[in-house]
Amino acid sequence: MTTLLRRAWIPVALAALIVFPLVSGDIYYQNMLIVTFMLAIGASGWNIMGGYAGYLSLGNSIFIGLGAYTTGILAAKDHVSPFLGCFAGGLVAAAAAALLSLVTRRTRGMYFVIVTFAALQLFGVAATTASGLTGGSQGLALPLPTWSLSYQDWPFYYPMLGLLVVTVAVAAWVRRSKLGLGLFAIRDDEDKAAGLGLRTAVYKMIAFVLGGTFVGIAGGIYAYYVTFLNTAAVFDIVTSVLIVLAVLLGGRGTVWGPVLGAFIVAPISNLTSTSLGGADAGAIRLLLFGGLLGGVALFLPRGVLPVLSRLLPARPPLPVRRGQVPTPVASRVDSGAVLVVRGLRKSFGGLRAVDGVDLDIARHEITGLIGPNGSGKTTLFNLIDGTIPSRDGTITLAGRSLDRAGRPARAHAGLARTYQLPRLFGSLTVVENLVVPARRFAFGRLWTGRVTPAERDRAISVLDNLGLAPYADSSPADLSYGQRKLVELAQVLWLDPVLVMLDEPAAGISPALSARLADLVRSLHQRGVGILLVEHDLAFIADLCQRVCVLAHGSVIAHGSVADVSTDVAVVDAYLGDSVIPAVRS
Amino acid sequence: MTKRVLCCAVAVLATVLAGCAATTSSSGSGSGPLTIGMSLPLTGPNADVAKAGYQGYKLWAAQVNAAGGLLGRQVKLDVLDDGFDPNQTGTDYTRLISQDKVNLLLGTFSSLLNAPASAIAARQQMLYVEPSGGAASLFTRGFTNLFFAQPGTTASLPNLFVQWFAALPAGQRPTTAAYVTQDDPSASPAIAVFKAKLQALGVKTVYDQTYDPSTSNFDSIAAAVAHTRPQVIIQGAVGDDGPQFVRSLEKLNYSPKMLFQTNSPADATYPTAVGARNTEGVFTMEAWSPKASYPGNADFVASYTKTYGTPPSEDAANSYTAGQVLAAAIKAVGRIDQKALADWLHTHTVNTIVGPLKWDATGDPLGTGLLTQWQNGTLQVVAPKQAATSATIVNPKPGWSAS
Amino acid sequence: MIGLGQALIFGILIGGVYALMATGLTLTFGVMKIVNMAQGAFLIVSTYLCYALWQHFGLDPILAAFLVMLPMAGLGLVVYKLVIERLERIDPGLTIVATFALALIAEALLALVWGPNQKTTTPPYFNQAIHIGGLVVPRAQLYACLLAIAITVALRQTIKRTWLGHAITAASENPEGARLVGIEPARVGAWIFAIATGSTAFGGAALSFLYQFTPDTQDVWLGVTLSVVILGGLGSVAGAFAAGVLLGVAESLTTAYVSVRWATAVPTLLILVVLTIRPQGLFTRLTRQDAAT
Repeated sequence: MTTLLRRAWIPVALAALIVFPLVSGDIYYQNMLIVTFMLAIGASGWNIMGGYAGYLSLGNSIFIGLGAYTTGILAAKDHVSPFLGCFAGGLVAAAAAALLSLVTRRTRGMYFVIVTFAALQLFGVAATTASGLTGGSQGLALPLPTWSLSYQDWPFYYPMLGLLVVTVAVAAWVRRSKLGLGLFAIRDDEDKAAGLGLRTAVYKMIAFVLGGTFVGIAGGIYAYYVTFLNTAAVFDIVTSVLIVLAVLLGGRGTVWGPVLGAFIVAPISNLTSTSLGGADAGAIRLLLFGGLLGGVALFLPRGVLPVLSRLLPARPPLPVRRGQVPTPVASRVDSGAVLVVRGLRKSFGGLRAVDGVDLDIARHEITGLIGPNGSGKTTLFNLIDGTIPSRDGTITLAGRSLDRAGRPARAHAGLARTYQLPRLFGSLTVVENLVVPARRFAFGRLWTGRVTPAERDRAISVLDNLGLAPYADSSPADLSYGQRKLVELAQVLWLDPVLVMLDEPAAGISPALSARLADLVRSLHQRGVGILLVEHDLAFIADLCQRVCVLAHGSVIAHGSVADVSTDVAVVDAYLGDSVIPAVRS
Repeated sequence: MTKRVLCCAVAVLATVLAGCAATTSSSGSGSGPLTIGMSLPLTGPNADVAKAGYQGYKLWAAQVNAAGGLLGRQVKLDVLDDGFDPNQTGTDYTRLISQDKVNLLLGTFSSLLNAPASAIAARQQMLYVEPSGGAASLFTRGFTNLFFAQPGTTASLPNLFVQWFAALPAGQRPTTAAYVTQDDPSASPAIAVFKAKLQALGVKTVYDQTYDPSTSNFDSIAAAVAHTRPQVIIQGAVGDDGPQFVRSLEKLNYSPKMLFQTNSPADATYPTAVGARNTEGVFTMEAWSPKASYPGNADFVASYTKTYGTPPSEDAANSYTAGQVLAAAIKAVGRIDQKALADWLHTHTVNTIVGPLKWDATGDPLGTGLLTQWQNGTLQVVAPKQAATSATIVNPKPGWSAS
Repeated sequence: MIGLGQALIFGILIGGVYALMATGLTLTFGVMKIVNMAQGAFLIVSTYLCYALWQHFGLDPILAAFLVMLPMAGLGLVVYKLVIERLERIDPGLTIVATFALALIAEALLALVWGPNQKTTTPPYFNQAIHIGGLVVPRAQLYACLLAIAITVALRQTIKRTWLGHAITAASENPEGARLVGIEPARVGAWIFAIATGSTAFGGAALSFLYQFTPDTQDVWLGVTLSVVILGGLGSVAGAFAAGVLLGVAESLTTAYVSVRWATAVPTLLILVVLTIRPQGLFTRLTRQDAAT
């Protein structure tokens, strides 16, 4: 019965919404539902960027506004039916979304919030100023609907409902696709996602455009519905905030949360304004609304839907099928240098973190990189993988120059790394974490399922090798620290790299796991993958590495075999000197 | 089995939804009180205007009821808040018509809100008398049920001042003028008319700029205006931008020979904001004055002051007037027939506290308001002659004083 | 066209006013990386409190600010303890929502107490100016600007010279490290928030005699103060002051030489340009920590 309920409520609710205007005939409720659909479309669209990818935007009114004005101008000046014009509105909104995502591609977190807020204001000013087109502060009047009053608001109601269904369907589809997988990875850790070869800027642009298009179309229909457009009211921060509120209330990142949120927020906003009387009604309404908003943030931080869905029975777990252990990719027997670094430099203010490093990593060797704390090892990794841009020096990977390549391009070239503290995507399962890496970007692949059956079989066998198969569908949070390090290494393997950089792989994990890790590194090496690893555990280094580089104050001060280097006077000085005078580091 | 459950669920849900729709709606026609619906911006940036406007409506309803109501039925106001949001205004009027099934509508404040509200009224074929919202764009949409309950719209606003100006002896007439206006449907079109009319009289335009409604800092604008040394300054001022601009002129110690501001000088807080003595000689245009001798006006001022403890504002008078217009039509027609009421108003003149009102086919009033001027701490009507409360006009405006 | 000198004077003075309004936000947004959407509301609450003191006791608004500072700091402490601390742990995005809600609640309460009408204070200097040669220096703006300088210096000294200042710096640059040496970032956060909220008293006082205000005036100031802090770069008190002045001058010059209409869009434009080209702000340098995270 409960599963029936779970499956049935969507068609039931939809059918009820379809039947309702025919049964009731009360245009007030039709109006309330049209407003609610509008908000739900806005919220679902916003959720693709704000919920899936974690980019909170206060600029969604821009898309409503562009859709509304495009439709309005076409209707008022060129007599195009708003029901056709709204698609032009959707296109304009999509173009604006693409532009906005291009402009904000480097902006993150709260800055993104603020940039979108500023962009909204700017669009408002621009629309007011372009008064020849938009009517400016005088407003833009659309023709009134001409159909008979006996059709009530059906010609608005049903297109809006249809658009809502399409928007939610697209949002659901995105969530289940590789695109959604990438967006969630971006939300959890964008740099890491880029390092695994995801072209994050493209993912974000698609998310932004998808979110903006439907909102733009809805804005067009809504323009005809309200018949009068005013820049201040259309490019309105309050609408943006309502959208955000609806998503937060319903449940960020879920498919139905935004819709549920809209169905709570819109009627409440409507009822508080239409049920309170008296001169202080306004203040009381603000109080109620502010209280609701604050209460949700404080007491329902994850939204209503996640709380509700905990009450319903969970879906049955996916079967864990173990496939064949994949045969290693044909090993590249090649003795040339896989990574060549020349004259790499980076300063922060006055501090030279990396000061002219030359480095050659050969395929047939596992190279260790050692040096005191603050000697620039991690900065060097960040420069090589493109986390930090560098202007001085050259990096060549397997004969390809990486100097101009961004992070995803470097991953596509075959560069992979792990981090000191493992960075897994917290909102993805272990299997999903594993299949995020991509050696190339293919647009068509974005629309396939998150984890294809073939990928799943391969992933399970990889996990099986690491002894982690039982955790395939768990959250990374359920793994031990060492296990997470193994999964991160498995991600690197998935990328099928030509060079792997490991940042303190053995630090803080049990000897047993450490041994398993060392085995993995060796097997990688046998497959012809170049390996550069940072490690403080000299025994681990001595056991694994054929060659060692020593870094101090941003420069390579020695390199050679482990035995050679450990007797080098400069190396001993660097370590001792540094531990005696730590102040040098600041 | 599944299908049957689904069908039942749909049926139940639909009936529940339809049921709650049915129970909350009240029957509108027949006996019982006559409900009149309106949505006002009781919150948001124009809340101060709306509060007075609401009280004007309430006073009108109370007086009508004390006199036995309309058509023998008591009048009941159904007031919703729209937070100065045009979309919410539309929602509110839809609710008033379809849900609350009000018998009649009255308008809201500002052109911004009256635009969507009047469109909904037009679509639902309801009479719509609005107390405010004089933007020309409202009267070009071909609505036949819209009536503006003020003596004139923004287009006719400059007339009285320009007439007085034109009548000045050629030697005394200023020759340069600066125009500065907020980008607002009630201000900028009027200022454009001012400019055209004064230019036709040979007054040279030395400055003409429009500022954004969110402008808060007027020092630079005032300095730029003062730099051109205009003899006349005409400002399209909607709210606090009026006093703010005057304060900046005071700091610059630049006082023009004539200063005309729309709206702002009639605000109750204007003298405090610019300094009581600095109001002297400032012109504005009003739809109504507490001093005007139109029938019922003195009684309105007295009752309002007695009921609410403060003298009425122009907004309060405007909503009271809208009520008067509605009541006159109902009394004359003798039944609630939206089309008949509108037809009657198109063909008759209504006597109100702002004087006799008469409309063209679009609902645009065929009169003009009152030219008023601050004199000795009060706002006096100086034109037209029949409504004037002061025979003299302060000219030129005295300079600023320090406090 | 007004002279460049006059335009610069107006710009610098109004820039000082902007900086004064933004002092609190520099600390909360800049140091603690909290987007406090209630900054405008705190400011306008201060304004109303100064107004009440001026109206009932005839107290000069600037003096009143010193009294208002304490209850405002208390309010900041309460808000931090009840709302911010809790939400920052879950999701900083929610802090934005919650503080926005606070702003709405504050606006509603102000409207209930003082009504929706325009208010202003008129101390003797409100419409006076000092005339030097052909140049005009409005006294009200001048005092606000001097107040801004005084507070900027005071905050800078606090951060540079006192234990609290060092704790603030440590906690913002390296929370884990701070915890190791016995500085609890949450407690430091409460202090910063209290100081930030308390300092809005001065901005509020200036607002009371510079402008007319209503409960919903807070919206306007939120945008301006955010732009000041973003332009200034995070955590830099002096940077925020410089940014305020830059903003004021840009606005004044736009009004004088470009178009009055675009003057109010200047902050928005500057935010967009700065954040897309130099996301770390104009007056800060990229540090190793920023790069690593």
